[in-house]
Amino acid sequence: MTTTTPVPTETECPPIDFGELKSECVAPRPSIMGQKRGLRSILWLSFKGIVRGLLTTLSYFRRPSTVVTQQYPENRETLEMFERYRGRLSLIHNEEGEHGCTACQICERLCPNASIIITKDKKNEATGKPALDQFIWRQDTCTFCNICVLVCPFDTLEMTGDFESSVYDRRLLVFNLNEYAGPTAGQLDKLEDDELAKAQMKPMKKYQGPVPMCGGEMDGIPKLDVEKPTDV
Amino acid sequence: MTVEVSSLKELVEQASGDDRSPDTQEYFVNMGPQHPSTHGVLRLVLKLDGERVLRCIPVLGYIHRSIEKISEHMNYMNCVHLTDRMDYLSSIMNNWAVSKAVEEAAGIEVNSRIQTIRTIFAELERIQSHQLWWGVLGMDLGAFTPFLYGIRDREVLNDVMEETVGARLTMNYVLPGGLMADIHPNFVHRVKEFIKYFRPKLDEYDDLLTNNVIIQERLRNVGILSPQTAVQYGATGPVLRGSGVAFDLRKDHPYGVYDQADFEVPVGTIGDSWDRYWVRVEEMRQSMNIVEQLLDNIPPGDFLVKKLNSKIKIPEGRYYSQLETARGILGVFIVSDKKDEPYRMHYRSPNFNNLWCLEPMIKGDYIASLIGAMSSLDLVIPDIDR
Amino acid sequence: MADALLNQLSLTLSVHTSDVFVAPAMSLADRASRALESGVWGAVLYIVIGLVAVLTAVSVLGLVMSYIERKVAGHFQCRLGPMRVGPHGVLQSLADGIKLLFKEGIEPGHGDKVIFIGAPIFSITATILLLAIVPLAPGIQVVDMNVGVVYIAAVSGLGVMGILMGGWSSNNKWSLLGAMRAGAQMISYEVSLTIALLVVVLFSGTLKVSEIIESQQQGWWIWRGHGVAIVAFCLYVIASTAELNRTPFDLPEGESELTGGYHTEYSGLRFSFFFLAEFANLFVFSALAVTFFFGGWLPFHVGNYEGFNSVMDLLPPVISPMFWFGSKCATLIFILMWFRWTFPRLRMDQLMRLEWKVLLPIGFANLILAATVVLTGLYFFPSAT
Repeated sequence: MTTTTPVPTETECPPIDFGELKSECVAPRPSIMGQKRGLRSILWLSFKGIVRGLLTTLSYFRRPSTVVTQQYPENRETLEMFERYRGRLSLIHNEEGEHGCTACQICERLCPNASIIITKDKKNEATGKPALDQFIWRQDTCTFCNICVLVCPFDTLEMTGDFESSVYDRRLLVFNLNEYAGPTAGQLDKLEDDELAKAQMKPMKKYQGPVPMCGGEMDGIPKLDVEKPTDV
Repeated sequence: MTVEVSSLKELVEQASGDDRSPDTQEYFVNMGPQHPSTHGVLRLVLKLDGERVLRCIPVLGYIHRSIEKISEHMNYMNCVHLTDRMDYLSSIMNNWAVSKAVEEAAGIEVNSRIQTIRTIFAELERIQSHQLWWGVLGMDLGAFTPFLYGIRDREVLNDVMEETVGARLTMNYVLPGGLMADIHPNFVHRVKEFIKYFRPKLDEYDDLLTNNVIIQERLRNVGILSPQTAVQYGATGPVLRGSGVAFDLRKDHPYGVYDQADFEVPVGTIGDSWDRYWVRVEEMRQSMNIVEQLLDNIPPGDFLVKKLNSKIKIPEGRYYSQLETARGILGVFIVSDKKDEPYRMHYRSPNFNNLWCLEPMIKGDYIASLIGAMSSLDLVIPDIDR
Repeated sequence: MADALLNQLSLTLSVHTSDVFVAPAMSLADRASRALESGVWGAVLYIVIGLVAVLTAVSVLGLVMSYIERKVAGHFQCRLGPMRVGPHGVLQSLADGIKLLFKEGIEPGHGDKVIFIGAPIFSITATILLLAIVPLAPGIQVVDMNVGVVYIAAVSGLGVMGILMGGWSSNNKWSLLGAMRAGAQMISYEVSLTIALLVVVLFSGTLKVSEIIESQQQGWWIWRGHGVAIVAFCLYVIASTAELNRTPFDLPEGESELTGGYHTEYSGLRFSFFFLAEFANLFVFSALAVTFFFGGWLPFHVGNYEGFNSVMDLLPPVISPMFWFGSKCATLIFILMWFRWTFPRLRMDQLMRLEWKVLLPIGFANLILAATVVLTGLYFFPSAT
């Protein structure tokens, strides 16, 4: 049996002169047995430490009010997320259901992992300007870095506190963020003909198409019913 | 100093070939990649004699995600969010390290409001990292309750930070040229509340673990790392300071607004696990001091000095910048070729160097001491592999 | 042959039914001896009934204790513990038991299959054997041997065999380390445990468990023993914690060091056997502490304060022993759980040092002191006779 005790290996190099790095603040290291104490004081300190530890845990045991557990599905009603919580990306729509996205694609360019795919109508027939067709956001690859929200020049993106996003099929994690395909709220306001403006807002579904990279149909996975409501 | 390089296979074959005394037989055992106290997918190959550790060979690469390589295809702003995934317990400090390197290289001046908020967040992050470490150390040594107490208090602090940042772990709050968002109106008030809450809790931590004779005997005189060895192996952070070397970037090469704060750098005496323990506990107190000093006079200003959708371009050359995370020095090395993407990005992560101190620390000691010593190193495995 | 067998069976059954329903004053132990004397079949029947009863008790104990443990642990740690299955999670252990029942029993390759399967059975058998001697109430005791204390010392040492077998046959180095730790630890602490019990044997002058309780009619040994018994009790609590492999002495399991120790490779029902044995042992060791130091099922009396004592005697005689025994046991179990959820774990060398250099000398000195007390007759509350 080897009965070596650990010895720091100091012989390998000449001692280093730490010079000015030496500090005056030495942590006051408490120890019961390390210092040259009498047996009685060691015993007393050990006993005291053990009893105080026991009393600490007991103090929590006898006060059920200190329980911090949150019972999640039950407290769903009262659960409040912080307003800045990054749960799910959403495109802001005003009261009339109009968004402000001009499809400038800055967010798409600056997204670190290509989670945003924007397709646009190059020239809207009514306004003559580019209009948003699809704002696809892939939650399955998103890292919630918040850069898209920050860089948007029109402040049309926001992160919402909706954190319950688990689904059984990752294809359900691809969202169409815009509720309609068409020009922004500002451009629609400029159109004098209300009927014409209405006609520009082609409603979009919440979910559109399969995950682009992984394909719509996979071996062993049934084809996804796109029409199915995707509420979580 | 001699450097021995031999493959793991050779080592194992060497050991099984000869030296078989009739009474004992040395054997190899894999500790990890799945082991409760390697805190992730670290694999240690241990050569044991009974319960004594004769050799301890870390095997890396189980959680390598090539963050450095991915960074080469991203602009400097996007590189930042990857660093959240390195040392996830000091994500803001990691963000800051990259931002600092980019700012220094590109010559971006940030105002003092940004610097103050960054410093406050870094210190809060340091506290929450040490809280988790404290709990995990207790759990590694067999006491499960400290873990939950540590987590409970970390939760309070996490909420404070979440209110401003919007995320709990992968925060991505600091960007080159500023911050992701300004501090929440409640922030100052809630941080004060937290400090008021946490100071008595630290005394409770002392009651539960620090003054317990068992924990002291488990950690004291175990895993002694001499200052020479620590410097040789490039250990930084509390591991280095535990060995008695008072080297802290916050003090020696101040960045942020650390030069405005009055704080002390706790330093150990002999470099055992108990010193490292105590240095970290003391650091929590010092961090709270720093936060308290800075909190009341956050200067006014913008939270972002640079328009984000403009590209940051760095002049051609090599740039290095470093700062002190909760575990030691995180260095960021950038090779730029004038583009808005780095030609090469390298991180000098503190955990990688700290990990290799394990073997000189623990040679000849028990497995149980190895657990204690490893816990006192406070390793985060994703930071080792990156 | 068959007729004779049936006759014998009906005879013993009638004897038993008459015993149980007609003569309730007769103690279980007496019934046992009568059954054993009534012939081979009577003995077999008694043993079968006893075993079934004890096995049921072990399972129920395991379920209840694991629920209590988790609830207590939860509240020590600012948590709630199990809350989902049933109101406040009361059915959680049952659900876990059913889950374990349906899980695959994995056998490690190149392991020693026979020993691997035998180990948990061995482990739980030792517990059942130990449970047989615990007196729950006057007469409610499966066996009341005249060498009860020797039996306890002998049988509680068997438990370590199961652990050693399990660790060795798993063909896993971590398991082996855990088993070796368990072997060293349990054998060492066995000594202290027995020495602590011997103090009470000296006081009461008998090895028979029921008589030890009877001898505490005038006052529990923990009060009457001049502090000697208090030291013995402390030794017993420490040693039994080590015997039970609970924190701060849970080195054989040491899940943060040995990934579970000796039961790393066990799954399903076999694991649950280890699990049940552990929890039933927790009950057994507290029950023994109650029996030896706290007067077993005797109610709480203080010296000659008749008024106080009569208040304590208010409970009807059928419930009283059960109540007192149960509440004393629960208190001790709570204390053991309290230890577990507060303290970190010792290291192996420290554990051995604690036993051989601290506990054992104290134990021996205490035993000698106890002998002196007994010889001089210096008890508190001297018995009336």
